[in-house]
Amino acid sequence: MATARDVVIIGGGHNGLVTAFYLARAGRKPLVLERRPVAGGAAITDEFHPGFKCSTLAHTGGPLRADVARDMQLETRGLQILRPETRVFAPSPEGRALVLYGDVARTAQGIATFSKKDAAKYTEFHQSLRRIASVLGDLESMAPPSVDHPSAGDLWSLLKTGRRFRALGKKDMFRLLRWGPMAVADLVAEWFETELLRGTIAGRGIFGTFLGPWSAGTSAVLLQRAAADGGEAAGDVSFVRGGMGALTQAMAAAARAAGAEIRTGADVARISVKDGAAKGVVLTTGEEIASQAVISNADPRRTLLGLVDPLHLEPDFLIKMQHYRCVGYTAKVNLALSGLPAFTALKGPGGDGAAALSGRIHIGPEIDYLERAYDDAKYGDFSKAPYMDITIPSIADPSLAPQGKHVMSIVAQFAPYKLKKGDWATRREELGDTVVKALAAYAPDLPGRVLQGQVITPKDLEETYGLTGGQIYHGELALDQLFTMRPLLGWARYATPIRSLFLCGSGTHPGVGVTGASGANAAREILKTLR
Amino acid sequence: MSTTYDAVIIGGGHNGLVSAAYLARAGMKTLVLEQRHVLGGAAVTEEVFPGFKFSVCSYVVSLLRPEIIRELDLPRHGLEILPLDGTFTPMHSGDYLWRVNDHGKTVREIRRHSKLDAEAYEEFGQAMVQMCRFVKPILSMTPPDPTSLDPRGLMKLLFLGRRFQALSGQDKYNQVQLMTMSAIDFLDQWFETDVLKATMSASGIIGTFLGVRSPGTAYVLLHHYMGEIDGAFRSWGFARGGTGAISNAIGDAAREAGVEIRTKAPIAKILVKDGRAKGVVLQNGDEIQADVVSSSVDPNLTFLKMIDAGSLPDEFLEEVRRYKFRGSSGKVNMALDALPDFKCLPGPGAHLRGAISISPSVEHMERAYDDAKYGQFSRRPYIDIVIPSLTDPSVAPPGKHVMSCFVQYAPYKLKEGPQDWDRQREAFGDTVVDSIAQFAPNLKSIIRHRQVVTPLDLEREFGLSEGNIFQGELSLEQLFFLRPVPGWAQYRTPVKNLYMCGSATHPGGGIMGANGRIAAMEILKDWAKGAI
Repeated sequence: MATARDVVIIGGGHNGLVTAFYLARAGRKPLVLERRPVAGGAAITDEFHPGFKCSTLAHTGGPLRADVARDMQLETRGLQILRPETRVFAPSPEGRALVLYGDVARTAQGIATFSKKDAAKYTEFHQSLRRIASVLGDLESMAPPSVDHPSAGDLWSLLKTGRRFRALGKKDMFRLLRWGPMAVADLVAEWFETELLRGTIAGRGIFGTFLGPWSAGTSAVLLQRAAADGGEAAGDVSFVRGGMGALTQAMAAAARAAGAEIRTGADVARISVKDGAAKGVVLTTGEEIASQAVISNADPRRTLLGLVDPLHLEPDFLIKMQHYRCVGYTAKVNLALSGLPAFTALKGPGGDGAAALSGRIHIGPEIDYLERAYDDAKYGDFSKAPYMDITIPSIADPSLAPQGKHVMSIVAQFAPYKLKKGDWATRREELGDTVVKALAAYAPDLPGRVLQGQVITPKDLEETYGLTGGQIYHGELALDQLFTMRPLLGWARYATPIRSLFLCGSGTHPGVGVTGASGANAAREILKTLR
Repeated sequence: MSTTYDAVIIGGGHNGLVSAAYLARAGMKTLVLEQRHVLGGAAVTEEVFPGFKFSVCSYVVSLLRPEIIRELDLPRHGLEILPLDGTFTPMHSGDYLWRVNDHGKTVREIRRHSKLDAEAYEEFGQAMVQMCRFVKPILSMTPPDPTSLDPRGLMKLLFLGRRFQALSGQDKYNQVQLMTMSAIDFLDQWFETDVLKATMSASGIIGTFLGVRSPGTAYVLLHHYMGEIDGAFRSWGFARGGTGAISNAIGDAAREAGVEIRTKAPIAKILVKDGRAKGVVLQNGDEIQADVVSSSVDPNLTFLKMIDAGSLPDEFLEEVRRYKFRGSSGKVNMALDALPDFKCLPGPGAHLRGAISISPSVEHMERAYDDAKYGQFSRRPYIDIVIPSLTDPSVAPPGKHVMSCFVQYAPYKLKEGPQDWDRQREAFGDTVVDSIAQFAPNLKSIIRHRQVVTPLDLEREFGLSEGNIFQGELSLEQLFFLRPVPGWAQYRTPVKNLYMCGSATHPGGGIMGANGRIAAMEILKDWAKGAI
């Protein structure tokens, strides 16, 4: 028998929860259906080894947008954001290290030991990036304008952004226009001469993508990230006390308090469509839930190619959706450690290990290193020497590991979803070993400190967490899949060709990272349509 | 002989000559100065070996703007374009892919490889032609400055916006993809046959330092369909007598219009006084006064070599230094005693009359790029081969042939530094011969002479900085209103009365002539205003 509902949201990831909250706050009665036993999607905490807790997938916030946090009153629900002053620690194979802090002056001092010129340049770069990012920030909090029939509203918000764009002044305006399509390797080469600094900044342009630093458009990814995290050249680091799971739990609480209902262990088999409109969903148990609208937090491919009967979509649209690139090259390795690894670069006087390692650890000391990591993946194998974005959250948040012990969270690139040789079932451990070995080059005692490891391959990301192709951002971050083209040109406004079926996940603008922006934008647009 | 002119053009390449012709036709007393002994810049024919004439650098023509052919009446001045029919791609499997201008034939050929692709190919061609219609007007327009509120600029942006709006949904989608995607990502959506994708993607990377998987390369695929001769879409050809014949035809048209042309007249300096260009000084000391100086050489030579830093704003110089050349290609020209014999399609035949493309697989293209990224020439390069003597016997002795091989990647900046090209030149030549011999084993035995043109040679001989054949990379951030540098895409420069008219300006490289023509139009505008 069918129970009638107001709005059904497929997927309880952070964006789904944000959308649920805003809908509920506006008086709707959303029902969130999460297939896993716990809400949170890719922002979750697991105890992967007795006493060791870790943000299983995403390990830092995007960061979460301030207005979303405020609206959802997450602080009062126990959310504690931890922002270590150390942003990035980037060791080099020669045993040197570059440390970037929140404090630009302090960062510049450190850079000066590599290059006086770069120290000065860094400050200028940081400031320019901040200005540009603040303009782009506007774009992230708006629904992309309709290309065919821009509404008065669209034109107005574009005009406002246009004004802010002009306010940048000629120099930054042209920087924005030039940087967009550039290869991030070129961008950093224009600014800096220190290879280690180049590699560190460039990392932000390829994280989560299938692009090497020499690929055009990687600067756009850097800009988009900067727009999300306030434009710090070093990038933001925001941990959540208790791991990312604590964030989504707080969100869930907020949504419930506002009147949303959340059901876990409820796996949606398909979206029922009648006369071109979504009428509800059917669970794998066969249970039917009728609703006035269906909103999907799942990625666009899973939603429109997986949950909807193709009969209800134009062939032309189906083809485009099949061409939507959604293949992941990112793997996750979580380690339980008996103690802090000793990085060679931190040996010797003045090296306060814990403080230096409290932010992100960047392994990618040269542009060529990052590019070669990408080359391996191009030909279907995982990188012999992967690019790694690492955190040790237990430094800032001791509650995650037993006294004196630590957890290390490693995002490793590139690991292709489709391997040319063998499959992930047989090569999982090999990947884990490769990562630990690569890291041991910078912290020789690491292997000896590993008590337990957890390797999450792109295949796992798809099978366990429902990320199609293991793509952590619900779709490649390429120029042709951003803004008015995310997920598809003409369908970037959270609606789909099926009436009352909407998207609110990371496969919509702006996507990228745990910011809640997609969910908030979607809710705003959907509320306009629902009445 | 008078030494004061209305306009002096630096460089006798095709753009310089086109620009000069238009200025003279408008009544300006114009002088063209070419450093070499021959006209044409990179569009030259030279008898490198007795009896064998080569288009030393640029070797095919397709984008030469029809309005220029018409307005300068080039056919009357001896321009004759002979068709270059098709692209022949030998494969390692012993099979081949042979596309020709006859669409039906090509579709049948592709069907041998994949029925689906044969159908897709039809649609693909139509889609591309639509896209070309959209892009064409942009090729003959002066880019607006998007940061200025100048109404004319805004109108242009509006015009482009409108045109884009007018496109059908499908065309919008294709257009956006073409501007942003990599050649391979784009082609993957249409085709499944690897060799087809490989050989098509090749046109996306020519003259760039990008790989077929690098976003931004899809756009260049369009140029292949934009090739236009006598109004006929996507036809490529040779000039009878080699590419130099094009330059000579334009040169004649210019002379007829009253242009004076001097060769072996290398420039030492551009005369600048109180922010105004006053003329030039030749390396032999001759001083030439002129109201307008227009440079068809690249920004590096124009602004960093020919002008004292003092007379240019620092920010501008910074941008010029930032402008990327990064030559990535070389040329190997061979004089042959006989025709190469391809294993996969033995004997002479029509397949040798078109382009022969050594691009057997996407991985081949990709790996060729990987070598270059790390500072060495491709061990197995992408090679675009033509044998003009089959279509135009006048370029080789009877029974003999000239074969021109465009080779990518050959990075100007080798690991050991650019100078090392002189040491690696022959190794590079051998690599090219070996790569072709894999498919045509008889090649080694029929080579009579071989000329290897490295990026370093292009720089030294032809004044192309870092050996970039397009006077600056055709990457997205160096196109349209960003070419050559932000804020200076309107053919003017920070120095009054000094203009740019070469490939480093919009719409970029290739034998189009558009740059020279548009620049002339801009100069004449200022001239009419009395602004000069």
